[in-house]
Amino acid sequence: MTKLRITEYLDLDLVAERWQCNRCGQDLGAAQANYKEGCLVAERDLAEVHPPLLEGQAQSYTPDSQYCRLVEFYCPQCATMLDNEYLPPGHPITHEIELDIAALKQKHGLAANAAGGAKG
Amino acid sequence: MSTIAYSRDHEVVQRLRPEPMTQAEIDAQERIDPVEFDIFKHKMHMIALEGKETTMKLGASTAMRWGDVAFGVFTRQGDLSVCATGIYHHAVLGQIPLKYVVKHWVNEPSVGVKEGDSFFYNDPFYAGVHNADMGLAVPVFYKGELMCFIAAAVHTGEAGGTEPGGTCNTAKTKYDEGLLVPPIKIGENYQLREDILNMLAAMTRDPRTMILDIKARLAAARIAQRRVLEVIEEKGPEFFIGGLRRILTQTGEAARRRVAQLNDGVYRQPRFLDTVGTEAGLTKINLTLIKKGDTITMDFENSSPMLEGRPMNSFFQGILGLSCVYYCGWLFHDLPANNGLLEAIDWRFPDDAMVNAKGDASTSLAPLVQTCFTQGMFLAGARMTYNYDSSRAVAAWFSGFAIPTFGGINQFGEGIADITPEINATGCGARPDMDGVDAAGAFFATMSDCSDVEATEADRPFLYTFRNFFNSSYGHGKFRGGSGVGFGLMVHDTNRFMLGSMGGGSRFPSTLGLFGGYAVPPVFVQTVHGSNLKDLMADGHTPLPNKLAGIYAPDAPEQGNKATSEVNMVVKPFNDGDTYYVAVGGGGGYGDPLEREPESVLKDLRADRVSHFAAREVYRIVYDAETLRLDVAATEALRADSRKARLARAKPFAEFVRTWDSLSPPQEALRYYGSWPNPREGMLPVGQLKAA
Repeated sequence: MTKLRITEYLDLDLVAERWQCNRCGQDLGAAQANYKEGCLVAERDLAEVHPPLLEGQAQSYTPDSQYCRLVEFYCPQCATMLDNEYLPPGHPITHEIELDIAALKQKHGLAANAAGGAKG
Repeated sequence: MSTIAYSRDHEVVQRLRPEPMTQAEIDAQERIDPVEFDIFKHKMHMIALEGKETTMKLGASTAMRWGDVAFGVFTRQGDLSVCATGIYHHAVLGQIPLKYVVKHWVNEPSVGVKEGDSFFYNDPFYAGVHNADMGLAVPVFYKGELMCFIAAAVHTGEAGGTEPGGTCNTAKTKYDEGLLVPPIKIGENYQLREDILNMLAAMTRDPRTMILDIKARLAAARIAQRRVLEVIEEKGPEFFIGGLRRILTQTGEAARRRVAQLNDGVYRQPRFLDTVGTEAGLTKINLTLIKKGDTITMDFENSSPMLEGRPMNSFFQGILGLSCVYYCGWLFHDLPANNGLLEAIDWRFPDDAMVNAKGDASTSLAPLVQTCFTQGMFLAGARMTYNYDSSRAVAAWFSGFAIPTFGGINQFGEGIADITPEINATGCGARPDMDGVDAAGAFFATMSDCSDVEATEADRPFLYTFRNFFNSSYGHGKFRGGSGVGFGLMVHDTNRFMLGSMGGGSRFPSTLGLFGGYAVPPVFVQTVHGSNLKDLMADGHTPLPNKLAGIYAPDAPEQGNKATSEVNMVVKPFNDGDTYYVAVGGGGGYGDPLEREPESVLKDLRADRVSHFAAREVYRIVYDAETLRLDVAATEALRADSRKARLARAKPFAEFVRTWDSLSPPQEALRYYGSWPNPREGMLPVGQLKAA
């Protein structure tokens, strides 16, 4: 098995050592890097997803944009939202999955790739 | 006094994993027949289950009656071998008080551990969560030899302190929290000591509940003791001691085998809290899971510093306890819930962090710190496990609490203090193959129930104006989170009553989605003092709101002094007829909402389980608002346009980050955070504490 499904939307081509979109196969970068670097990224208006139900009050059902922003990560080809993050404004984007590629290849009986995912 | 120095014992709380095997346990292993062992395991579990059920049946507090109970059988060294519970944190925390008893009291002439004794404890330094979690344990002797301990750990919703209801938003140090009892003997010769009970009753606002809960724990423990002695009589003491140990050993071995099958790697999930108790403020719990071989290491470097003068801290052992809600309930769901699981888990906590409180710091709101962290376990855990078994990769249940806390005089003139039970009606997180279950329970107390409103109204001075599903309470996604519950409380038949709220997530969502699923919206409290609702109900001619959304309508008929508050609301006086509205949230969403089956959205619309706003603007479906008939072609076109719009507004990662990096929260929001954005970089913790 050379292609592993790592999340709902992320495949890992273990031979090429590349992330791919599970829905369309779009390349999303080196397996050693954060796949989000291969995504298109947008900040959403919080009220488009979490509309206020109570107008004119300090509290509603919309997060406080001074505390929280919503960042969405899209596949650049099929535009599927591969993930999103709720972060304080300006907080570094999270590198959530950093797999030990060498261990994974060994687990699946594959030789280590000297190129280390540099191609593509 | 031979082994204690009148201060907290920092050594015993490190002993979370099973103690080394004794020679007696080693000797017993060779003579335990595997079939007899399986029968023994089942029998012991049934004893624990009966203990849990008995505790619930006899208890008085809200949490005890509705299932916030852990009942277990411990080795004579204090390790928890057999446990019946849905509150899995006690599966690894319950043994600390027993190890304390073994260490300090067995050989202490002024105390001792004898047949017929019973011990009580609620200091969270030993019991691990917060001081409303109280435990009672009894030693079991057979022919004069200590065989095991039996204990029940239960949340009794009042523990004294600056506010009623077991949590204190206003606590500044541990001395503001009320009752903090390290393990003490409260009974001997099969009798509770009335002088000790009298003291415990005097230190809390609801003495009747306090005493009834203690007696419930003890009664259940005595029944279990009888059953255990029958097992020992039948199997023999050697088998019994060796069998309890083998359960622990097998659990640890199975956990390590399970972990070894997961992909090696590093999985990160920063978590953010938006309150420090009495005021808003950002803090960060920086969770990193390092999975290598047969071990998962939980690392908390670069988490916010310990908060001095605020109750938003946790002892490290409480964090480990809550990690086991994820481990026991999800990753190791098919293994026994005991501290043998920690053989596969390691941890690294920085000093002076909010997740590693020390000294006199208050931990009264530790449950919020701990559940905030546990969210990270669900999210990082999902990324760690999807490739191994996608059914383990689920979005998180609601973790913002939003619990009404109360105290005062009830409708019968009795002093009461507790919480209401709706925390046991949150929604499940969505899953890879289905929506989350609506109003399922609490993720940290999965065997709990939210009770009938009538049961709560019977001895609390409340009238529920409504309690039902709230369609703006969960996260959207390909599969949506289970719905939470909105409800209204009217204070009834008392003018001597206080109401507040414990929780977080009014500014920063407490509960996030997974793999593109959205978060649970913020929650908050609305109150109406001097409400005319009672008059409107008496009049009977005005249609009154029967769900939470109706409360917010501009033409809502209820008049009075309306105010909103974040869910960390310090208690304030409420009089007869005043009202209080809040929602307990649902679960996080799973996957891209544009992938949700349109028919599932329509089904939710028919059941009022989703808003028309979300159907149109989040799920992007086109339908007739009257007939709820789907326009298939228009929906496909709208969704295609939505995808194009995504690509049009988005930027390549590097370009996005260039702008994003220039942003930051306002300084006042970062007062307790530590150094921005990495709390421990560039500042000494002591400096941060002074700034706070």
